[in-house]
Amino acid sequence: MRTNIIGIYEDEEVVLKAVDKLQENGVTVADVMSPFPIHGIFERLKLTTRLPLATFLYGTVGAITMFAFLYWSSVINYPLKFGGKPLNTLSFIIIIFVLTINIGTLFTFLTYFVRDKLYPGKKVELPVPETTNDKFVIVVSKTENMTDGDVSNINNIMKESGAIEIKESDVNYNS
Amino acid sequence: MNLDIQFKVGSKFRTSMFVMIAIGLITIVAGFLTGDTHRTWANLLLNNFYFLSLAIGAIFWMTMQAITQSGWSSSYLRIPQAMGIYLIVSFVLWFVMFFGIHDLYHWSHTEAVQNDPILLHKSAYLNLPFFALRFVVFFALWIFITMRIRRMSIKEDTEGGTRLFGKIEFSSKVLIFVLAFTFSLFSIDWLMSLDAHWYSTIYAVKKFVSAFLHGTALVAAIAVILHMQGYFPQLTKKHKSDFQRYIFALSIIWAYMWLSQYLLIWYANIPEETVYYVPRIMSEYKTLFYAELVLNWFVPFLFLMWNRIGKTNWGILTIVAILIVGQWVELYMSIMPGTVESHKITYIEIGSFIGYFGLFAFVVATALSKANLIPKKHPYLMESLHDDH
Repeated sequence: MRTNIIGIYEDEEVVLKAVDKLQENGVTVADVMSPFPIHGIFERLKLTTRLPLATFLYGTVGAITMFAFLYWSSVINYPLKFGGKPLNTLSFIIIIFVLTINIGTLFTFLTYFVRDKLYPGKKVELPVPETTNDKFVIVVSKTENMTDGDVSNINNIMKESGAIEIKESDVNYNS
Repeated sequence: MNLDIQFKVGSKFRTSMFVMIAIGLITIVAGFLTGDTHRTWANLLLNNFYFLSLAIGAIFWMTMQAITQSGWSSSYLRIPQAMGIYLIVSFVLWFVMFFGIHDLYHWSHTEAVQNDPILLHKSAYLNLPFFALRFVVFFALWIFITMRIRRMSIKEDTEGGTRLFGKIEFSSKVLIFVLAFTFSLFSIDWLMSLDAHWYSTIYAVKKFVSAFLHGTALVAAIAVILHMQGYFPQLTKKHKSDFQRYIFALSIIWAYMWLSQYLLIWYANIPEETVYYVPRIMSEYKTLFYAELVLNWFVPFLFLMWNRIGKTNWGILTIVAILIVGQWVELYMSIMPGTVESHKITYIEIGSFIGYFGLFAFVVATALSKANLIPKKHPYLMESLHDDH
């Protein structure tokens, strides 16, 4: 289990500046926690995600599967003419459209849960529980080759940039 | 950053626009002289409507920015305002159309209406005096409110504060209701009544969304072109991405409207409704019928989904170029089967479009050069100029 240096802040703008300050001094910011999404934090932490690509793939697979099912059920298995329309018909589009969205959304949701090791009723361990309310937190991982000087340096930067409290926590929040 | 930026129309640009206008004029005159009057009138209608809807779409986009109090777009507001100036030119050009009414509109012949129960029933609405009155009132409203917003915005440059900002927002609220109502009736009057026996309740919505989509796309393209010439240094990837999302979302809405009209008519299969689609699908128009859907929806949808494309200059410009062709195809499909009937793209189609394009570009560029390129005292301007987080 590793230890983290936790800086607690009270304002989003201050957090952004603090992240900049830390990164200027060569400190890797592991994570930022906030009660709501902050503009620009994603780019600053250089976070990447492949979730949109996954959604696109699920959507494509969903559309093809639904078309295959509709084709099988109303052309091959039970060909029933109604309203003078051809068997392989344009009214498939609405069902394909709706179910593509449904499949895409549900599987994206499941992927997110699996990747984040979340499940209903999971007890979430947070270094500072107030981040779900009105506090902002910057997390810096304390690595083994970090000297005491480095640690106090990080503490100083956090204090100067407006942290109201700095503490160390060994909560392994990010599994 | 220096906010006093004045756009200058280059002499080379001006000359080439004049050449394009001359090409257009020659084509139109040649079209009338060679006896192809029917096709020429249809093309005049197409081009008039095409560029009018670009201007309408752009000012609608501008009102959206004012109502939502958007910050990111505030430094680009002069572009739709300049496109709004085209309304005045368009007003003059549409007057010419009144000479071609008998050529294009079946319902304008009194003797034809007398022997036609459907047209007789519609004649309370579709008659020449009321038609002309609507035309004048609509244009008067558009020009009045748009000019009012532009005037206030230019006055804001010297006055500052939030007084005029609030007034612009109020005028914008008025304008969206006016546009929603009047532009719908306008497209019913001038386009849907070409096929006077047929009607579709979603026709006007589709034309409105089309105007919004293509107007917005052109605003984005002008912003990118000016950025490439060094006028908008603040145009970041963020802004391009915002424009991209606008185009992406609107092209989906456009396709939704397209399908809403087509699917219901296809499904119900009532002869009086399918009469509109039969000449469009079961004839030589077939290719263009599908091209309309591919150009306006499928290509923008597929490529803008990958948001890396929308963050580059060439990406936005390519998509807008495709949409510009797409709107032409859409209007061609709305107008030609009901007027000239046979499908043929002649020199008239190409020449008259070049002429109108030159005129539109010239008017917009001149209007842009008349005011400071950035609304320099807009309350949210800083958000647009320093969109770094």
